[in-house]
Amino acid sequence: MSSVPTSFADRALSEYDALVAAAPSVLEAIPGAVYLCDAEGWLVRWNAEAVTLWGRDPEPGDRKERFCGSHKLRLVDGTPLAHQDCPMADAVRLGSSTRNAEVVIERPDGSRITALVNIRPLRDRDGRIQGAINCFQDISAHKALQADILRKNADLEDFFENSAVGLHIVSKDGTILRANRAELDLLGYTAEEYIGRHIADFHVDRPVIDDILHRLSCGDGLDRYPARLRAKDGSIRHVQITSNSRFEDGAFVNTRCFTLDVTDLNQALEARRESDRRLAATYEAASAGIAEVDETGRYVRVNDALCAILGRSREEVLALDLIAVTHPDDRAEEAERYRRQRCGELPAYRAEKRTIRPDGTIVSLEVSSSSVLDEAGRFRYGVRVMQDVTERKRMQEQIRRHAERLHELLDALPAAIYTTDADGRITFYNRAAVELAGREPELGSDQWCVTWKLYWPDGTPMPHDQCPMATALRENRPVRGGEAIAERPDGRRIPFVPYPTPLRDEDGKLIGAINMLVDISDRKEAEARQKVLIDELNHRVKNTLATVQSLALQTVKHATDLRDFATTFEARIVALARAHDLLTKRSWMSAPLDMLLHDVIAPYSQRGERLQAGGPALELNPRAALSLTMVLTELATNAAKYGALSVPSGTLSVTWTLSSGSDPALEMDWIERGGPQVGAPTRRGFGTRLIQRCIERDLDGELDLRFEAQGVRCRIRVPLSLCTHG
Amino acid sequence: MAERPRLRVLLVEDEGGVALLIEDMLEQLGHEVIASVAHLSRAQRAIETATPDLAVLDVNVAGETSFDLARRLASLGIPFLFSTGYGDSGLPADLQDRPVLAKPFTLADLRNAIARTGQASA
Repeated sequence: MSSVPTSFADRALSEYDALVAAAPSVLEAIPGAVYLCDAEGWLVRWNAEAVTLWGRDPEPGDRKERFCGSHKLRLVDGTPLAHQDCPMADAVRLGSSTRNAEVVIERPDGSRITALVNIRPLRDRDGRIQGAINCFQDISAHKALQADILRKNADLEDFFENSAVGLHIVSKDGTILRANRAELDLLGYTAEEYIGRHIADFHVDRPVIDDILHRLSCGDGLDRYPARLRAKDGSIRHVQITSNSRFEDGAFVNTRCFTLDVTDLNQALEARRESDRRLAATYEAASAGIAEVDETGRYVRVNDALCAILGRSREEVLALDLIAVTHPDDRAEEAERYRRQRCGELPAYRAEKRTIRPDGTIVSLEVSSSSVLDEAGRFRYGVRVMQDVTERKRMQEQIRRHAERLHELLDALPAAIYTTDADGRITFYNRAAVELAGREPELGSDQWCVTWKLYWPDGTPMPHDQCPMATALRENRPVRGGEAIAERPDGRRIPFVPYPTPLRDEDGKLIGAINMLVDISDRKEAEARQKVLIDELNHRVKNTLATVQSLALQTVKHATDLRDFATTFEARIVALARAHDLLTKRSWMSAPLDMLLHDVIAPYSQRGERLQAGGPALELNPRAALSLTMVLTELATNAAKYGALSVPSGTLSVTWTLSSGSDPALEMDWIERGGPQVGAPTRRGFGTRLIQRCIERDLDGELDLRFEAQGVRCRIRVPLSLCTHG
Repeated sequence: MAERPRLRVLLVEDEGGVALLIEDMLEQLGHEVIASVAHLSRAQRAIETATPDLAVLDVNVAGETSFDLARRLASLGIPFLFSTGYGDSGLPADLQDRPVLAKPFTLADLRNAIARTGQASA
């Protein structure tokens, strides 16, 4: 296109030209940073404010800088923005305008500012782009403020959303506008299910929510207003609502509500109330007396049972203290115990004491006293539980007396009795047991038996743990029919029969055993004696038969005829029988010499005056009695046949003395007088031999037998040691 | 029948009547009673004085048994037999194999008992 003359208007400068041509002061007058690029983007004009914001001053006339005079550019989010991509470049190249765009300018010193950018392309009359103008201003402070507000808002949102307390906002008409997580969680709804509904839909009690809304609309705040909400699962949540309303220009806008779930708290409270009620019920219903006492011991709270035990009205009891109701004899002890409990020396105690009721009866109490302390461990009050144990004590006393009587009874029994525990340790023994054992058993230490040593009946040692009592305990059964021998420490042995019997408790559990030891020494001795007697009798019978045999044979040998034999033999047998009789009367222990003599002589002396007999009393032993019987019989038979007893005029004197001295002896004189003239026998007959045998041989004595003219004279001397038991 | 040896016999018997019988029986059997005593002490003395060929011992001699005497005789090799009213029970174990005459006994009993001491056929 060729250049044509222009009108004034035509010749008027384009905006670009005008700006380029304007004096520098024009640009400087613009309040804000401004710069101008030509059609190719080269910076042509800029003002001082732009230099300030850029933090640099581009070289004038230097065509090195295009689109922007800044050191670097970034988008608001921080990504780098090349100069040829900046809005100014678009304006020059494309003719686009930019209004209120924000870019970040980075200065050479690294500092950044946010700039609000407004760009307009500059065209000539024909619409060709001649350049562009950029006005920008520093909005960093504004941006910072905005960021701060955003952050605060976010904090508030966060607080609202994530608060542990349920929060909701309700509009004027009661519609739920917002609700936080905690509130939704509390009731179990999703935001969709909750928000937008009327708040009353979730309240259990219509009057309550009506009242709440009414109060709020009047501008009254709610402070922990109790209400009940229905959760999605149907459960009822107890809440406390704290709320106030927002008014703008005096008009009610909405309410902000804090919803505090107190369901658990309510349950705990209810549980505690229940527990209190139960405790109170127990307190009153208890059969034991219960009391709370202050630190002076004064009754502060008592139940009916306590009043009944003390025999006083509640008013009377509450006017007293624990010492006043105590039996005077027990007061000092009780006061001391309570003092120690109160000052913490005793955490609690249990004791027995007595109380006197107003009617004078004495009641035994078992008291359990404990302390209730505060958090610092200081004594607050005492709790005392009291039981009337009068009857129990009476029973115990009765049982004790029974046991005592039983022990006395057992002690008095003539049989040895002892008891053991289940392990066989001696727990009791009576006097008779000590007498039998010959020792005092050690309680709790001696085991199985009170005796010192034990033997089987055959004399072999019996270990204590194998004794019948041990068997009874081990096998839990009574043991009968056994016999054992106890040896006492003094060496004496006592045969006995034990009767061990297990003792069981009510449940049948073995708790020990009782044993009775019956001393059978007497029986054993009797048995032994009986055996000796039988043996002795047998011996005696056999010896007697042997003697009879001897007498018969000897009598036959010397008899003149059968008649003579019969008479002599009979006399000898009868005399022997008499001696046996005498001995039997004294159980074969002894026979008195005078009676023995009498029995021998009697058959021959019908008239007593023919016999003179006398001497000190003497008990002969059986052997001597039999020997002397035979001697006296031979002498008597001889006297009756040939001597003093064969004629009426004859007399017989038998006297004896006991000589004393180192060798005491029985000295006996047999003197016949007034009989026929006596001659010495022509040959030694059986009688003489027998007499000699009996005195000299059997009794170790001396015999002086003389056939004198006046009559037979026989002198016998026998050591006392051989003819008596002495 | 072979000629029986004449034995020198010690008789220990505490009852004179019975002693007489046994002495007579021994003599009837052709033996000689060299001592007849009623006491164990006397019997002891008799052994010391003369050695008998045979002893006839009452078991119960004045309340004491003659067992110790019997053992003494056994140790001296002197044969013996017991005469007793107790029967043959009651002998101690070491003497139980010795002949026992239960009183009263017959002459034949005595002869057999002497034979059993081993002395008769010696």
